[in-house]
Amino acid sequence: MNNFGEVTMGLGLIAIGISSICYLVLCLKTDNVLARNVARLSFLGFATLVTIASILLMHFILNHQFLYSYVARYSSRDLSLAYLVSSFWAGQEGSFLLWVLLGAWLGIFLIFKAGDREPQVLLIYNLNNIFLMILLIKQSPFRMLPMPPPDGQGLNMLLQDPWMVIHPPVVFLGYAAFTIPFAYAMCGLWRREYDGWIKPALPWTVFSFITLGAGIIIGGYWSYKVLGWGGYWGWDPVENASLLPWLAGMALMHGMILQQTQKKLRKTNFVLAAISFLLVIYCTFLTRSGILADFSVHSFVDLGITGWLLIFMFAFIGISLALLIARAKQIPVSKKGQSMSYFSREFGLIAAIILLCLSTLFTGLGTSAPLITRVLEKASKVSTEFYVNVNLPLAILMLLLLSLVPLLAWGKNRFSTLRPKLIWAFLGAIVSGTVTLLNGYPDMPPPLLSLGVFILSLLAGAVVGMNLFLVIKLIRKRITIASGAIAHLGVGLMFLGIVSSSAYDGSAKVRLPQGTAVTTLGGYEIKLTGLASSKDGRGMRLHFPLDVRKGGDQFIAQPDIYTERRRDGNMQRFTHPHIQRGLITDFYISPVDFDPGEEKGSGRDIVMQKAKKLQFHDYELAFTGFDVSKMMGKEGTHDMTVGARIEVSYKGAEPVTIKPIITMGQLHSPSSRVKLPGPEEAYLTLVKIDAGAKTIGLVYEGPESNEEETSANSPPSVVAEVSIKPGMTVLWLGTLLILVGGGVAVSRRWQK
Amino acid sequence: MKKSYIIGAAIILLAMIMAMYSFKSTLTPYVTVREAKAGKRPVQVAGIPVKGTERYDMTSNNLVFTLREDGGDEMVVEYDGPRPGNFDDVTKVVAIGTYEPKKNIFAARELLVKCPTKYEGRVKGE
Repeated sequence: MNNFGEVTMGLGLIAIGISSICYLVLCLKTDNVLARNVARLSFLGFATLVTIASILLMHFILNHQFLYSYVARYSSRDLSLAYLVSSFWAGQEGSFLLWVLLGAWLGIFLIFKAGDREPQVLLIYNLNNIFLMILLIKQSPFRMLPMPPPDGQGLNMLLQDPWMVIHPPVVFLGYAAFTIPFAYAMCGLWRREYDGWIKPALPWTVFSFITLGAGIIIGGYWSYKVLGWGGYWGWDPVENASLLPWLAGMALMHGMILQQTQKKLRKTNFVLAAISFLLVIYCTFLTRSGILADFSVHSFVDLGITGWLLIFMFAFIGISLALLIARAKQIPVSKKGQSMSYFSREFGLIAAIILLCLSTLFTGLGTSAPLITRVLEKASKVSTEFYVNVNLPLAILMLLLLSLVPLLAWGKNRFSTLRPKLIWAFLGAIVSGTVTLLNGYPDMPPPLLSLGVFILSLLAGAVVGMNLFLVIKLIRKRITIASGAIAHLGVGLMFLGIVSSSAYDGSAKVRLPQGTAVTTLGGYEIKLTGLASSKDGRGMRLHFPLDVRKGGDQFIAQPDIYTERRRDGNMQRFTHPHIQRGLITDFYISPVDFDPGEEKGSGRDIVMQKAKKLQFHDYELAFTGFDVSKMMGKEGTHDMTVGARIEVSYKGAEPVTIKPIITMGQLHSPSSRVKLPGPEEAYLTLVKIDAGAKTIGLVYEGPESNEEETSANSPPSVVAEVSIKPGMTVLWLGTLLILVGGGVAVSRRWQK
Repeated sequence: MKKSYIIGAAIILLAMIMAMYSFKSTLTPYVTVREAKAGKRPVQVAGIPVKGTERYDMTSNNLVFTLREDGGDEMVVEYDGPRPGNFDDVTKVVAIGTYEPKKNIFAARELLVKCPTKYEGRVKGE
């Protein structure tokens, strides 16, 4: 075996195995210096080996070593450097390797930070890495092909976007980081330190929260920008797979804050730490096992690791349950008799945690629907309404809490002292409600949903008002104590953006004929000014320059449709939307289909679309397809000859198939013309082909028809989906503030 | 304190019941073409698009094609959304929506497209 990559991975697994055994020894005998050194060194060895393996894979990708199946499947010679780099994590095996790599690097920090908790924390942390390494050896990115292909299949066009270069590393950093609060929690149970684990684990929890959060947001932004369906969140299993641990992690973060200050929720936090980590594994199982293949638009191919994923999941459930049950009776409950006031910060936090848990539970239920229903009857998935229906009431309650609770102090509060400050929440609600009503009461059937959305907009305004006030007040004192207020302000803004972009958006499909201005929704006037195509990579890009006017404003929108022939011969088409961003409203235009138009025989040029019949003078023409048998390159040249099959019938006679050919890269010569059937001296020459749009261009030479052409030509046109999306800027600003708030919190807690 | 626990539990229980109800009512089961034509609820139908039937409706500008399932039953699907990027070479398409007997079409609001090769793409309707 001379596969250096696989050898490296194998050695890595051995190294992490040794490290784990030594940490296990250390857990039992804390003062064993030899075990400690070996444990650390072998972890370092593991990190080095994984890094070498990653460099190796990257090296193979950059140097087009298509002997490696992974390189051949996800990269190609024509990719630019940035997209070559991102081919690393374009597939399952590479993204698992990325996960392990980031986990290994985080682990080095963890060794420095863990202090005397190192043995237990690293033991649990290592277990996760062992499992990932086993997966990577089972499903190796270094698998070789018997023969290297001349070029790879290339990176999916949709993934060729700067945001998709950074999205996976951020998500997997979050995934890797979620192991750490779990490891600390298990360590806390093991060592019977029911409060002590919170302080070191909290910054890691916030860190995992912001990294996974950033990953989710980047994913949403990419989806909005690239996919062309005008949305940012579709409740797809792959999206939910990162949302579920994130929601649970958010609940954990709030629970830990409550425990740190009030010594409450000890048991709950152990459970939440376990759940948020187990959800990472469960969601990996859902999205990677192929179990949802028929229910998601993402295709999940079963790579034969389903069994392993199940084993890991049950192993971790077993570990968590065993430790929890063993210690359950010893974990002290918060002091009895000390009744909690309903009007206190702690009550607000507990309510928030319950809401977040319910949201996790329901969203998880929806995502798992195909699994659950498979047992009962026919496997089914839930439609996206389910997620909206269950999460809307929870969101309303959550925003209600967020507009009140940040004001409250721990313990009992007096309403009279708070009253003057509540004005900010009311002010925010009034402003938001007025703006909402000025734009019309939400029109989202059923009536209950509209009411819910309206309440949501009121409360989101209240949250913004209240937290904006708090941010200003706290930042003046010290920015670090404003972290919560900044993040909560972000939540309010995000919900304002969600309401306006989903209840006040508009979308219409318009057909834009070349040269004619069409007025569409929002009073926008759109004119297709011309058509242009350009060669791009291995495909063709069809540009639709649009002149868009509204009132005095005017801009040029440049959406396009890209068509490429994949290595396997399949055609793929990607539409590329144009987004005209505005402070209040985004104008979004996505091409749907291109119609080359029909010319009904008035001129010498004929454009034909596949399978469409055309009446031309006395002939009925039908373009039935390309003639592949003539598709060959002449020896010694790069010229490619392509033929087209055209069925021609003269005055209703039996159709005859003619096969004009065209040699690419050459001007057409009279010799390539083909005589049409019938008595007339009439010829057709093939002058243009567009395999993507399945059209051909022909030139007719022959007697002109005497008949007056009655039907007008239909010019080329493009069907486009035009949407207006208000509030997107506010939405992105809100999500950004959530991350900023989290970042401030991490830096404060790590400084301590 | 006791009373508040009961109230809290009651609220959570209520939320659960509502969620279960919503869960049951929004389930879209996989059915055959025959079953889809008989029912009114949103369902999923899997099949392949019949070659050459794909077109854009000139009035609604929606994608229209004929879907044929394994058994050979066919139905016309109208999809109000962007054309899937790899629609030319699909091996399997899943249409999610409801059958409209008046127009004799299956109004799809989502199309899941499966290709012979791995492909991570997405199409989403309203």
